[in-house]
Amino acid sequence: MILNTYGNGFGLTWVLLVGAVTIWIPTTVARGEDWHRWRGPNSDGISRQSDWSTRWPNEKPNIAWTQSVGTGFSSIVVRGDHAFTIGHQDGQDVVVCLSVSDGREVWRYGYPASLDDRDFEGGPTSTPTVDGDRLYVLSRGGDLFCFDCVTGELVWQQQIADLAEVRLPGWGFSASPVVIGDHLLVNAGESGAAVNKQDGTLLWSSADRESGYATPVLIPDSQPTTAIFASSRAYIGVDIRSGEKLWSERWLTSFNCNAADPILRGDRMFLSSGYNRGGALYQFVDGQPQLLWKTKEMQNQLHTSILYQDHLYGIDGDMDAGARLKCLKWETGEVAWSVDDLSPGGMSIADGKLILITESGELIISPATPQGWNPIAGGQVIQGKCRTVPVLSGGRIYCRSVQGAVVCISCRD
Amino acid sequence: MSLNRRSFITTSSAAATLAWAPKVHSASKDKKYRTALIGSGWWGMNILREALAAGQTKVVALCDVDSDKLELAAEEVNDLCGDQPKTYGDFRELFDKENIEIAIIATPDHWHALNTIAALNAGAHIFIEKPTGHTIGESQAMLAAANAAQRVVQVGLHRRIGPHHVSGMEFLKQGGAGNIGLVKMFVHNRGGKETPTKNSPPPETLDWEMYCGPAPLRPYNRMIHPGGFRHYLDFANGTLGDWGVHWLDQMLWWCDQQSPISVHSIGGRPVRGEAVLNELEQTSDAPDSQVATYQFETFTAIWEHRRFAGDGPEKSSVGCYFYGDKGTFHMGWRDGWTFYPDDPKKPVVHQNSDLQEPDGHNIQLLWADFLRAIETGKKPVAGIEVGHQATTLSLLGMLSMKLGRSVRWDADQQRIVDDEAANALLRREYRAPWVYPELT
Repeated sequence: MILNTYGNGFGLTWVLLVGAVTIWIPTTVARGEDWHRWRGPNSDGISRQSDWSTRWPNEKPNIAWTQSVGTGFSSIVVRGDHAFTIGHQDGQDVVVCLSVSDGREVWRYGYPASLDDRDFEGGPTSTPTVDGDRLYVLSRGGDLFCFDCVTGELVWQQQIADLAEVRLPGWGFSASPVVIGDHLLVNAGESGAAVNKQDGTLLWSSADRESGYATPVLIPDSQPTTAIFASSRAYIGVDIRSGEKLWSERWLTSFNCNAADPILRGDRMFLSSGYNRGGALYQFVDGQPQLLWKTKEMQNQLHTSILYQDHLYGIDGDMDAGARLKCLKWETGEVAWSVDDLSPGGMSIADGKLILITESGELIISPATPQGWNPIAGGQVIQGKCRTVPVLSGGRIYCRSVQGAVVCISCRD
Repeated sequence: MSLNRRSFITTSSAAATLAWAPKVHSASKDKKYRTALIGSGWWGMNILREALAAGQTKVVALCDVDSDKLELAAEEVNDLCGDQPKTYGDFRELFDKENIEIAIIATPDHWHALNTIAALNAGAHIFIEKPTGHTIGESQAMLAAANAAQRVVQVGLHRRIGPHHVSGMEFLKQGGAGNIGLVKMFVHNRGGKETPTKNSPPPETLDWEMYCGPAPLRPYNRMIHPGGFRHYLDFANGTLGDWGVHWLDQMLWWCDQQSPISVHSIGGRPVRGEAVLNELEQTSDAPDSQVATYQFETFTAIWEHRRFAGDGPEKSSVGCYFYGDKGTFHMGWRDGWTFYPDDPKKPVVHQNSDLQEPDGHNIQLLWADFLRAIETGKKPVAGIEVGHQATTLSLLGMLSMKLGRSVRWDADQQRIVDDEAANALLRREYRAPWVYPELT
């Protein structure tokens, strides 16, 4: 982030990259409806869970527990009784495993990493990925880890920037590792890299150019199996078996900050970035993306929008300048509604409801409809700055502040 | 470009004493001005979007040393209005090949003088982002060149025309705050120690040699570009050379463009730490905190900025306090203006701001005024003299801080009184082949 103040207004203030996603893995069994990776079990930011409720006592969010995990932006993922995230504490990054019932620390693993707070508060920006009984973690500096989820034992470790011989992007790596079959995909280099998820050996890598900050996204039912990697200057379709580039859609953004994951439905693909870049919908024709519409009305600086039914719900604009919560019609890009004074810090959807945390730590639940923003429940849950997506898993909502407070809100009837 | 700077300046300085006499266009509202944008980054595009929205702009050319910025800007222009501007990496080539009626200049400060003089030589009217020059000599040369060329120059001091600034100034000038004896201009931010950032090869898309231009060629660092040049003194003048120009201009507007008798400034980097610049890494080098005092005949004005500690007990992080014998008037930004009577029993008077968001400016009004000036010959609200004076005050502050002593300013002679070491700092050495625009 560029912490300079322009006399013309507070401009280009900062970049923070929380593009972390894993992919639905046809060959791997996800555990029930656990929110086991960024963007959730179906990689769309939506939980299908319906047995949860915001009928809280006193009509205020029912905080089950809080825990401190250190500075950072990494969101929470869940496997059964355990929740995982990363934070920077006492001069190192720490991967923590917490008990979902009381927040107690089950295990932790520290690794050397600098806070790297030159442009923002610093700390880890990627979200861990659960795959079966394994947990994959990527640090901003390129350290890639595989842990045993239960014991916290380190299974293997690699330095992906060294291994793939690629540079770090300006703010370090921020994408989640993505598991597809035996491949672990990492957004490093111009169009990604893949290692064997069992032992971390390199399968393929790409050119030594800056990666973007979004997490790779699998194109469902693609032949050959294709994942989309955000580079610093394009979104690129890659054959995940060979690493070969299949297509590339040029996508320039100030600060090379392509941080939002592509959103796919049918033969359509939505891309978006901040810094006045905007969004665009493409249709794949003969395997190549062709532009359908462009808009300046959805500029996803950090957070990927969510496509729910026929509308995109997203955070539009640069966070430091005051972002807006918006709902756009998928088909046309037309704005259904916009809330300009909310300062959204992150959101997901569950059972047709937006679960949103404001930058100042207020949790708000509102139906996800094109009719408008009509909160039905909410309240202050964190004191501090929030830019991490709140997620629902097993009837609990997990929120996190930049300063490292993790708050678990019980939504179990 | 085949500009012979030295001969041009000789001509222009001879004409510098001419009265303001712009060429009046008999243009209708249908007139579309052939427009070029030099520096197509964030702020340049903010200006160009307003120009397009005003409906009298045909964008014929864009220029930037960063080809990514250029491509992004060209795409946006095409999306906005269908124009297909030609793109250039060198402003000299642009002015050689294109017939430009309006040039918008939004490059880093160290390029302003050469860009402006080239544009004036090409016959263009100019909308230039503040400050005018990076050194006082450059600003003087720009003033002389603009007067000689008889073209309209509007400096991007949109606070000259922003609605709450206009109404606040009316309040002040009608004596709302009484007799004013002290003005304090300020900007406060948060921040801490600055860790050096590693240098790296310039991105393939950036002509770093041309970016540095007349400034020393230093190792590329991603904190400088894009978006960070203001805190590197080779390219700009830190917070006083940025925000300071806006608020100094408000003070000058209030006092009817008086000149200070003396200027003194101290500042440094007690929190960010000593500046670092070596082959491996660097930090910014602008002061993290600075105080400058401007002594006028009948009042004192103080500048203060700090890039740490936040607002503290103050209600606002930015603006101007005018202290009068009826109370304190705060000219703010998004917080509008507020008058606090010295008698606590009297009501506080407040006016909200009316800005264009997300960046909180009034470029739309300033652009309309610019077009009006071109069409009618009327002076623009933030013409080159206005921009030059505000810029000069900010640069005198920087000069005094670097020199380590106060300076006495002779505005008529545009010289510092009896201090040749100080006068030497009115200009800088340019890196060859660029030639400093001397006034001869």
